[in-house]
Amino acid sequence: VSNTRDPLDSLRQLRPDQGKSGEPNDPWILARERDRLMAILEHTSIEPKPTWHPPAIYPRLGYQDERAAIEFLTRAFGFRERVEARQEHDGHVLAWLEHRDGVVMVGHTQHDVHGIHSPLETGAPTCMLNVTVDDVDAHFQQARASGARITMEVNDAFFGERRYEAEDLEGNRWHFGEPLASVRQRRGSM
Amino acid sequence: VDESTDADVIASSLSDPRAFAGIFDRHAGVVFRFLVRRVGRDTADDLLGETFKIAFQRRASFARDRTSARPWLYGIANNLVAKHRRSEARRLNAIARLDADAATDSPADAVVAHLDAARLWPVVAGVIAALPDGERDTLLLFAWEELTYEEIAVALRTPVGTVRSRLNRARRRLRELVALSGKQPDDTAAVASHRMTS
Repeated sequence: VSNTRDPLDSLRQLRPDQGKSGEPNDPWILARERDRLMAILEHTSIEPKPTWHPPAIYPRLGYQDERAAIEFLTRAFGFRERVEARQEHDGHVLAWLEHRDGVVMVGHTQHDVHGIHSPLETGAPTCMLNVTVDDVDAHFQQARASGARITMEVNDAFFGERRYEAEDLEGNRWHFGEPLASVRQRRGSM
Repeated sequence: VDESTDADVIASSLSDPRAFAGIFDRHAGVVFRFLVRRVGRDTADDLLGETFKIAFQRRASFARDRTSARPWLYGIANNLVAKHRRSEARRLNAIARLDADAATDSPADAVVAHLDAARLWPVVAGVIAALPDGERDTLLLFAWEELTYEEIAVALRTPVGTVRSRLNRARRRLRELVALSGKQPDDTAAVASHRMTS
């Protein structure tokens, strides 16, 4: 025995299965695990895409200039367009804007089939869109800085919500609120 | 005879997931043995399926220029072993506490040569348990799994130079500790204290 002996030799001899690597594995375990894997493989679609389900109720808004509306709503109110859903036809755009689990469709006014008008045509909005946000004060600052017309300043409502209201470019009325409990938590952590 | 490489099989599994079963058929036995050695039979059962599930999910990231998927699979399995470090360390330490009963007055090198494997195992187990994670992984992939430096580098996503220096360090620790325990086979405290400081 020389001093140049590899100290790993002792480790090799001490492999838990004593170096018998030719010995077959328990075929029962391999077969079982193979079956499990096959079950996974067979239930995998070729191009796995997450299926998207819009909320059971969601509004569609009509604008005379829907492209400007989409740009404004994403910039001023922080909505995100579901880009892969966008449709274009007859020179018009139909887009889906998301916020948390909510979504609004934004398109051109559509008088014939759906009877959707812009407040610019009717003279007034006919509904209000309610949105829950994470930080209503920051949201308010962002909206005002982006040119939204503020129709109600930020205030605390008796029912436990801090909120404000604003109009978009064509006069749709948006209500943004944050639960007061969330506001207190946010401020307490600052 | 199927002459397709692992890369071919994985590439076709992108459009036909069932083809990935071919990767299992080629390598599951080797991966399973590795897992048994590292974490014991019971845990290895679970980790085998998990290894191939993860591999399947990540198959798109398999590098096309690698022909064999084996080092890549070892890497995934090794990561799962890492989550069971505590049970691995417990097992090794339990072995290390076994009584290495024979006292001998032979010089250290002779001890290494003459002690049978079973008597040395507690000492070596203690050494392995005390190694830093990266060194233990490298050492066992080399000594037990017989991977090359390059294959270990792929599995552990580390440069080949790091593999080499880790093995050198592990060799040194092993040589020192085996020598020490050979001189004082009953003095486990000396082994333990040396292990802590080296």
